[in-house]
Amino acid sequence: MSHSRVEPDSGSVYRTPRWVKAIGIIALTVIVLVAVVLFTDVGGEHGPGRHLLSGEGGDTAAIDSAVQHIAPIEHSTQQP
Amino acid sequence: MTMTPVLRKFALAVHITSSVGWIGAVAAYLALDVTAATSQDAQMLRAAWIAMGLIAGTIIVPLALTSFLTGLVMSLGTAWGLFRHYWVLISFVLTIIAMSILLLETPLISRIADIAADPTTSTAELRALPNTLLHSVGGTLLLIVIQVLNIYKPRGLTPYGWRKQQEQRTVRQIVDAVT
Repeated sequence: MSHSRVEPDSGSVYRTPRWVKAIGIIALTVIVLVAVVLFTDVGGEHGPGRHLLSGEGGDTAAIDSAVQHIAPIEHSTQQP
Repeated sequence: MTMTPVLRKFALAVHITSSVGWIGAVAAYLALDVTAATSQDAQMLRAAWIAMGLIAGTIIVPLALTSFLTGLVMSLGTAWGLFRHYWVLISFVLTIIAMSILLLETPLISRIADIAADPTTSTAELRALPNTLLHSVGGTLLLIVIQVLNIYKPRGLTPYGWRKQQEQRTVRQIVDAVT
């Protein structure tokens, strides 16, 4: 972020710049997509809860999920 | 509150170094994340996760915090302000989003790195570990957008910035009329 100069915008009537509107539309689209991923099964085991630590061991929901995945794999490899 | 030129240059140097370093570190992390998501080789998975844990905790987080703090100092200590120009405000918001996700993600990464580093962790367990590709790809894109905004500095005042500018013009006109 270089702050070497300031070029004040001129004009007597306030207008939101077009590039800001474009970024706003893109941001809104991304928010909707993230909401869809979080609140539906599209994203699988994903969401803010994935990052929450539970218990003193520091295990996370994602790790639990991984362990759940691991269990059947190990089970199947141990039983030929 | 305006900084002296020497202090401003120093803050700018630290800000650019940490911001570009942040992108570089995330790029290195991304390469390892792709490896962790695609490789089936146990040694490769173990090495990738250990390296990801180290990069995230000891490089990316400090660089992100430095970049955020120096950005805050630069905007508040210069005429740009934090809420006057859209490019500054949007960069600030995107940096907060990137940093929040990073700080939420880091404990998970170091926990997985610990599991990967554990010699008792089997190959099947290593392969079942979740990847963080969505976050690393999203984070990289976000940082690139911030960087582009900071380089191009597209014109555009926020309603607050525009009001402040009008006030300053009015004051200048009154001073000119009096003198």
